[in-house]
Amino acid sequence: MKNVRVARRYAKALMSIAEEQHEIDAVATDLDLMGTVLNRSRELRLFVASPVIREEKKQTVFQELFGTRIGQTTLSFMHLLLQKRREMLLPDVVEQFNLLRDEEEGIVTVDVTGREELTETQGRELRGRLEEHTGKKVRMRFTVDKAIKGGLVVRIGDTVLDLSVRRQLERVREWLLGGDSRITTNA
Amino acid sequence: MVEVRPEEVSAILRRQLAGFEKEADVYDVGTVVQVGDGVARVYGLSKAMMSELIEFPRGVYGMVLNLEEDNVGCILFGESSEIKEGDTVKRTGRVASMPVGEQMLGRVINALGQPVDGRGLISTTTYMPIERKALGVIQRQPVKEPLQTGIKAVDTMIPIGRGQRELIIGDRQTGKTAIALDTIINQQYTHTEKAKREGIKPVYCIYVAVGQKSATVAQVVDKLQQEGAMDYTTVFAATASDPAPMQYIAPYSAATLGEFFRDSGRHALVIYDDLTKQAQAYRQVSLLLRRPPGREAYPGDVFYLHSRLLERASKLSEELGGGSLTALPVIETQAGDVSAYIPTNVISITDGQIYLEPGLFNSGVRPGINVGISVSRVGGNAQIKAMKKVAGRLRLELAQYRELEAFAKFGSDLDKATLAQLRRGARLVEILKQDQYVPMPVEKQIIVVFAGTGGYLDEVPVEYVRRFESEFLEFMDLKHADLLQTIAEKQDLSDDVMQKVKEILREFTDSFKATVKT
Repeated sequence: MKNVRVARRYAKALMSIAEEQHEIDAVATDLDLMGTVLNRSRELRLFVASPVIREEKKQTVFQELFGTRIGQTTLSFMHLLLQKRREMLLPDVVEQFNLLRDEEEGIVTVDVTGREELTETQGRELRGRLEEHTGKKVRMRFTVDKAIKGGLVVRIGDTVLDLSVRRQLERVREWLLGGDSRITTNA
Repeated sequence: MVEVRPEEVSAILRRQLAGFEKEADVYDVGTVVQVGDGVARVYGLSKAMMSELIEFPRGVYGMVLNLEEDNVGCILFGESSEIKEGDTVKRTGRVASMPVGEQMLGRVINALGQPVDGRGLISTTTYMPIERKALGVIQRQPVKEPLQTGIKAVDTMIPIGRGQRELIIGDRQTGKTAIALDTIINQQYTHTEKAKREGIKPVYCIYVAVGQKSATVAQVVDKLQQEGAMDYTTVFAATASDPAPMQYIAPYSAATLGEFFRDSGRHALVIYDDLTKQAQAYRQVSLLLRRPPGREAYPGDVFYLHSRLLERASKLSEELGGGSLTALPVIETQAGDVSAYIPTNVISITDGQIYLEPGLFNSGVRPGINVGISVSRVGGNAQIKAMKKVAGRLRLELAQYRELEAFAKFGSDLDKATLAQLRRGARLVEILKQDQYVPMPVEKQIIVVFAGTGGYLDEVPVEYVRRFESEFLEFMDLKHADLLQTIAEKQDLSDDVMQKVKEILREFTDSFKATVKT
């Protein structure tokens, strides 16, 4: 289970200290760096996740690995995480931090799935429409999925706008079968 | 033969399917983060609402029961083994509902209204939400018609009215279900032509088996079929092997079906057998959803669990058709402990209780009803006049008898009055005994009780009382059927009828005594 709540707490704390010291961007890049390193190296992931390895050991490794590469604020934050034995939260914290930052700057991430890559004009038009719809700046993440057969699936937060051919076929199927399961049809 | 050209077919299909590509399908989604034991935690679904129906993959549905900061707790109506961590779920934007209709009569269905008796689909057109708010004050009227159980001890002393909630409480193996089944079987007479002439409206019955063995449920259905009672009865089966969420909602589904009859101006009777198991099922899902446990580990809202269910029983006002929904909840106690959590709750919610005791049951007093602590808080208004006249003294005399009985065990010399009272009491107890599955029409109950309270049995040896009863009723059926008919129709004992009954009784008692060897 995701420890979203705890991660959000830590992210908030980090955010407020970064704001105070006017280095939000720097902290964000640092976190991203740590996130990518963690993502790429399986060894590091296992090292972080292991509860057997002692805190001091972890502290030393992190100091050696990131000591010169990241800012003081982020480094202290990492020390705090290690001290509190919450180092496995790091990926979640990175995610939450980015979310917080987006919220503050009015950016919303939208997942778009299509059968093929969009052309530049299509992409621009879609972005325009989405920004109009959400009233916020849109960061698009595009994935290609042949299984949707055609059309687009747009996901904004928890809401899905399903314009895919796959879904249309599903609905035709439901309609032909005469309604779906009995309990869903409401009076 | 008329030809249908392929182009025509395609054209029609195309026209019918045209609507599907027009608009985007917008829905909210979430991800399953934890699943098991009939509950699931879903991350996301931030707009989900309480009691909303959630669509899981592979045809499983769930209902929202917990709303938390970053996740939603659901109960699953289906196999939780079908669901995996990481599955995507959808909101439906609807509350859980079930099909209702007359077609459900004679069928065995589960908590979602799906048939489980292997007799094919039930085709209904109406759907009603499973959880409905009970009616308010304006829509109701006081209980005024009797619901005859056909059990002498109940109809005479603990009368139940249509629209009442009467609890049946007792230890295991004391005959709780027997009372419920007898009541269902006795409703058969309300569906006859004779009842129609007497102005008695039919009562539709619903039996909800919660957490019982499948074998027991099969037995009940079998018995009801044998007695011809399934024609007007629906059985809800949420057996011990069904997931806890199904056991938890089954009574609500049954109430929904009952309300369907009530709202169309008819009368319905729902038997919840039993609510102890339902509370346990609810405790299970509550604890799995990590709601804090309270007394006996039940969650804080078990009282509301039962009060909102039983509050749905009601007698509608005439403007709304005058229908009614009577509830007979059943509670099982442990070693006679009525002060446990669930029994006290339900006792305080209902309009009275029928208390069954193993001691009485085992000493041959069947049904083993303890009339001393059994009450009906509203049914008295619904008793027919004739019954009120004869049964008024019954309760008092029995109470006095119970008190004296304890005394009499010690003493040897008792005065005449005491002896008379003991003699009377012993015979009254005998009169109230009744076999299972033989409900008695109210007019017969009246004359039998009249014989007892009128003192006509005092000279008959105790062990012959039951024989007296059956022979007397047989005699009445043969020789004085018109008199029984009059009582049933007038619903009152006029002076001349009373006089006639007295004469007949005197005559019959004399001839009966002659047959008894002394």
